[in-house]
Amino acid sequence: MIDRRTALAGVVTMFGAGLFAPIARAAGAAQASRMPVISDGPPSTAVFTPDQRALVTVLSERIIPTTDTPGAIAAGVPMFIEKLLADWAVPDDRKPILAGLQAVEARSLKDYKVSAAKATPEQQDALLTLAMNGQIPGGKDFFEAMRQMVITGYYTSEIGITQEREYLPVPGEYNGAFPYSQVNKVYSA
Amino acid sequence: MASTNRFDAIVIGSGVSGGFAAKELTEKGLRVLMLDRGVMVEHGEGYPYDGKPAFDVPARNIMPKPVMDSNYFIARHGYVQPSNQRFYNDDRQNPYAYDEGDKFYWIRPGAVGGKSLIWGRWSFRWAPEDFEANKRDGIDGVWPIGYDDVAPWYSYVEKYIGVSGSRENLPYLPDSEFQPPMPMNVAEQWLKQRLETKFPGRKLIHTRLSNLTEDKPEQNRTKCQMRNQCGNGCSFGAYFSTQAVTLPAARATGRLTLQSDAVVTNVEYDAARKRVTGVRYVDAKTGQAQTVSADLVFVCASAMASVQILMNSRAAGSDRSHFDSSGTLGRYVMDHIFRVGMEGEVPGMTDLIEYGRRPGGVYIPRFRNIGGDEGVGFKRGYGYQGSASRDPSPPVGFGASMKQGLRRYAPWKFSMGAFGECLPYKDNRVSLHANKVDRFGVPLMRFDVRFRDNELKMMADARVQGEAMLKGAGLLNVRSWEGEHVPGDAIHEMGGARMGADPRTSVLNGWSQAHDASNLYVTDGAQMTSASCVNPSLTYMAMTARAADHAVKQLRQA
Repeated sequence: MIDRRTALAGVVTMFGAGLFAPIARAAGAAQASRMPVISDGPPSTAVFTPDQRALVTVLSERIIPTTDTPGAIAAGVPMFIEKLLADWAVPDDRKPILAGLQAVEARSLKDYKVSAAKATPEQQDALLTLAMNGQIPGGKDFFEAMRQMVITGYYTSEIGITQEREYLPVPGEYNGAFPYSQVNKVYSA
Repeated sequence: MASTNRFDAIVIGSGVSGGFAAKELTEKGLRVLMLDRGVMVEHGEGYPYDGKPAFDVPARNIMPKPVMDSNYFIARHGYVQPSNQRFYNDDRQNPYAYDEGDKFYWIRPGAVGGKSLIWGRWSFRWAPEDFEANKRDGIDGVWPIGYDDVAPWYSYVEKYIGVSGSRENLPYLPDSEFQPPMPMNVAEQWLKQRLETKFPGRKLIHTRLSNLTEDKPEQNRTKCQMRNQCGNGCSFGAYFSTQAVTLPAARATGRLTLQSDAVVTNVEYDAARKRVTGVRYVDAKTGQAQTVSADLVFVCASAMASVQILMNSRAAGSDRSHFDSSGTLGRYVMDHIFRVGMEGEVPGMTDLIEYGRRPGGVYIPRFRNIGGDEGVGFKRGYGYQGSASRDPSPPVGFGASMKQGLRRYAPWKFSMGAFGECLPYKDNRVSLHANKVDRFGVPLMRFDVRFRDNELKMMADARVQGEAMLKGAGLLNVRSWEGEHVPGDAIHEMGGARMGADPRTSVLNGWSQAHDASNLYVTDGAQMTSASCVNPSLTYMAMTARAADHAVKQLRQA
């Protein structure tokens, strides 16, 4: 069964240890009509206030910005995060995110006298760096969880799978000595 | 075969064994009813997520935690995902006695085709050694058959289903009738050369896989397209499943009736004639029960489910099955022990990557205790399944530099896991719950099955040897791990209705035929008297074809 790679394998292995809980559980890394239906569509409940949603949106884009390929916003990452936390994760998984958003907002008001969502990109990067380095309360947990959700949402989106990465729906053959220089990208799982 | 029944034979279950039984019996002229408790899945149209990328699958193909916890808390150990959810058992609707006895993961399918839709597809012949070792070692459980009895049936099955692999002429791992192997990648080739030089007698070989590397146009099957999405169902028919291979063959005879959503509760028995007369099943959609009669019954419901059906076949007021005059029904349950793994970095070759997603890997066959006890502190042995691959580089920081970094690959990594043989123990048993029944009135299964000292010592050795081989071959940053060993977790559960020459100590004879009813055959994992350390499904198929041949000859003589 060791060969039964999940579709997520390419995403999950990037994180190594310390997966954010809902992703770890779903990927098994910790290792009919009567069929339960998986909720699709928009989030069934609002996880974020409008201000928090705006902040999640801008921070997603700071984590995976638009470069020569589209960034997190174009890939629908903010909606993915709210959907994940609303319907696909358990309520406890929201806690580090909501706490972190609050801490980032408080720090922004203190340092920049402006709501974090309205801060400059440089200021937002500075706030994310503080979180990453554990220099605001709950910062590390927030940053790790946020980055994992952004990465998962982005690299499982159509943009992430087909534009940022190279997608081979039907490879047709296997070459175990293929020059990276012929693609200069990572193949989607 | 003068019969007034609508059906000559009933096959319970439609997985690798049941599908093969249906194919063989219909091709030999019998009218067959195949029953499966699961929902209907047709080849192709029943695979809604075949070829779909994550963004076209609910929840990006990540099973939501609340759904996992409520309905798939056992199936999760069998790699359930939204894309293949329909192929799995709903653990809430169809429970066993989770909270009693020993911890056991009974990972079950929930669709026609059984585990053939979602299996790992690693396919190996057992060795002569596997059939002889219990007798040699004085272990309770002597096989009534040997390798030579099964070998022609291995050939028959392999040629039909298509097994890719390489000829190696190893005494412990007999070659199959192979299609060409899937290629090793450059890191695996590097490792093979160094490992085999450093550890004489040990081999690293291509895996043997029930995925085609050459088309089978006569079966409307196309060779593997290297998508590695087998578990979603494969419309190319590239891997062996009931849907792609045995079901079309059985249907082509015009003699197969397939009934899905048919939950068999018991086999009907005529005590005076010592013969089975048919089966009783409940329609899962309507709750209606009915009894169907036939001259012959093949029980292929998967090892533990077959034992459950047999145990629940008993006279009113009796707790002893019709088929348990030996007192061994439900005993000698085994699984492979396998939660030991190791990995390391393969140096160099960083300009090369994999093109295509190969659904296999490489195999290190057993090297311990072959031919006798080597004095390593345990009996039998283990093999390793592994592969080399390159993951995307891990994220560093955030922003454009992180995004750019994720376009590169981490170094080649080789990882593998050990699969070890479990000895048969009389008190590793399953039983019917005294007072809890499921929604169809069948008593819940209770598991009292544990791994013992021999298995745990074997895994300790597998860890030490695996690490030593990877380090010795020159891998960097080698690390190993050992997880919780829960029987059932390898999904290679076996035994419970074992074969034997003596009706006083076994349930089946050497033809997979019940000692207590000559027209009852059990041809899935339940029949196994020992477990080997190699993946068992190919052996179930070969023994099913062999049993079908025997059963039809018996019918014709009658």
